[in-house]
Amino acid sequence: MKRIICLILAFVLLMTTTACSGNFTQVNLNEPIAIPENGIVEKSVLDKVKNENAIATFTGSSNDIKYEWTVFGSDINETKDVNLSVVLNKSDKGIKVNFTETKDLGFPALLSIHIKEKWSADSATAFNGGKGVYSVSVTGSKTSILNISVNKIIREIEILPDETKYTEDTTAENTNPTENDSVSSEKDKYLSGVQNSDDRVYSDGTATGKDKYDTDPVPEGKPMPVEPENQEINNKKTYTCIFSIECSTILNNLSDLDPDKRHLVPSDGVILPPTKVAFYEGESVYDVLQRVCKENNIHMESSWTPVYNSAYIEGINNLYEFDCGELSGWMYRVNGWYPNYGCSRYQLADGEKVEWRYTCDLGNDVGREGTW
Amino acid sequence: MRDSFLEYHPFINLIYFGFTISFSLVLTHPLAQGISLVCAVIYAVSINGKKSVIFLLKYCLPTVLLTAFINPAFNHEGATTLLYFPNGNPLTLESILYGFSAGVMIITTLMWFSSFNRLMTTDKFIYLFGKVIPALSLVLSMSLRFVPKFKSQMQTVTEAQRSIGRDVSNGSLFERTKTAIHIFSIMITWSLENAIETADSMKSRGYGLKGRTAFSIYRFEERDKYALIWLSFCGLFIIEGTLLNAFGFRYFPDIRYAAFDMTTIPFYCVYSALCITPVILNYKEERKWKTSVSEM
Repeated sequence: MKRIICLILAFVLLMTTTACSGNFTQVNLNEPIAIPENGIVEKSVLDKVKNENAIATFTGSSNDIKYEWTVFGSDINETKDVNLSVVLNKSDKGIKVNFTETKDLGFPALLSIHIKEKWSADSATAFNGGKGVYSVSVTGSKTSILNISVNKIIREIEILPDETKYTEDTTAENTNPTENDSVSSEKDKYLSGVQNSDDRVYSDGTATGKDKYDTDPVPEGKPMPVEPENQEINNKKTYTCIFSIECSTILNNLSDLDPDKRHLVPSDGVILPPTKVAFYEGESVYDVLQRVCKENNIHMESSWTPVYNSAYIEGINNLYEFDCGELSGWMYRVNGWYPNYGCSRYQLADGEKVEWRYTCDLGNDVGREGTW
Repeated sequence: MRDSFLEYHPFINLIYFGFTISFSLVLTHPLAQGISLVCAVIYAVSINGKKSVIFLLKYCLPTVLLTAFINPAFNHEGATTLLYFPNGNPLTLESILYGFSAGVMIITTLMWFSSFNRLMTTDKFIYLFGKVIPALSLVLSMSLRFVPKFKSQMQTVTEAQRSIGRDVSNGSLFERTKTAIHIFSIMITWSLENAIETADSMKSRGYGLKGRTAFSIYRFEERDKYALIWLSFCGLFIIEGTLLNAFGFRYFPDIRYAAFDMTTIPFYCVYSALCITPVILNYKEERKWKTSVSEM
């Protein structure tokens, strides 16, 4: 009797040890890997990342500025020893980046630079000899993280804040000077390019208290919400807007991400690059999002929330709220402003720039201003 | 068919159902679910006969279809979009399959419990748990006993009332309702009183006191020993398989599952063997009985 039990136990033990070495699931290279002093990450490490289809992070620091590389195993075609060390120097306005590696990496990778202060703009561009070479997305709440998607190594770049982002648009399309007059303060340059919407009502900033859908007063110069039941869609007039969907904040918080969802995150965080989208006069951000997602076969789930009289976007591309920590979810920004009301209540105007961004910190990491 | 697994020690019965029911709830791999469902149905039919076939077709089949329909109405997660609902949310393949799987899980558990109820009678229950958790096992056995007892008492009371002219099947709607309420009130009073009486009676017999023994006809025999070894081997093996993710299956956001190869097949074989154990025991016993009859 005892002998039999012993035999069974031994057998079970044997099974455990043999089966543990078996590869049943994707092994997540969850822990960040420190870049060695000489900067060289060996071929074997990259082979492992590639074979396990993992997402690896390599961390290092230069001049007290921390940086990390995020490498997607699925993106790796060829492997070889690569030098991932980077020299970072502060310049007057931005940051100078010198790559040590001279040849190409052989795969696209995301370089995230954790600067110690808040970046002065919503986005940035990397320049080489006066020419913009990489676009840089900015995330992070109190201190900023600059994300550069590196395809080809350009040895010396300088990252500078984008200040002229929206003013450029306005000079190009500034055909309605009367609209400009009605918008007074310097901050509202975003709206001056808006051509149509003669009937659009802007907030004068004098309202106090919440409206009947629990919305705080809309800041001065921003469009007032239009209730979905009052929106009249005019099929005869079509306008265009720039639409984009991205989730680069997840790349900075990969450890919080639901492991089942890892493969859904694009290596540069962009789900839909800025795209010119046509829409009918009177349509809301929600209407356009729904159509854009259908047309591009991007999964999207929303639920109608009567309290806020708007649809709530639960998930895009199967990345849902709370999938990357308990403060995560989808937010939208129009011309650089995060409206304080739902996307069904924002009636779009011609030429507006709509960004859907995934936040891991209630919007603080994607440039939302103000407190909740 | 004669159920010889019924005659095994109650502890063996309990372990068997503990494993099968909990594995049916934990393992979501369709193959594991299929194994469990098929075995549960075979066993239930072999001990309950026609009744469980009718139950299966009448209630279980609709349950599966219902969950497969209802889940996608509320759950829109999943990578494979089939079409769009009028409100713009997608209907996904994954949510339909998940609903189907949930339905199968429910009916598998129901089938196991229908056999469980047949095997684990109140006396076995009290025998197993009377010493360890006396109060809870008494309450459990009383409440399990309550439904059939209530039914038969209801019959008695209804007949008695009918004989004094209060018939539930006669008279106007108001009168009938009045009679029914009257009978129901009698039943409530009776069941409360009965519960107190049972509790008092058990107390006066010294139930739950230290050193009190209870009569039982169960003996842990040689065959129970082997059954115990077999069941615990299967159970541990499958628990290990679960830890190693051999039964791994996920529905969202897209369907992924553990490879079905030489590393995982043994776990499925052992799982089938565990679930089908009582049927095989019954079959063996039947064969033995038949050969011994023919030898006579």
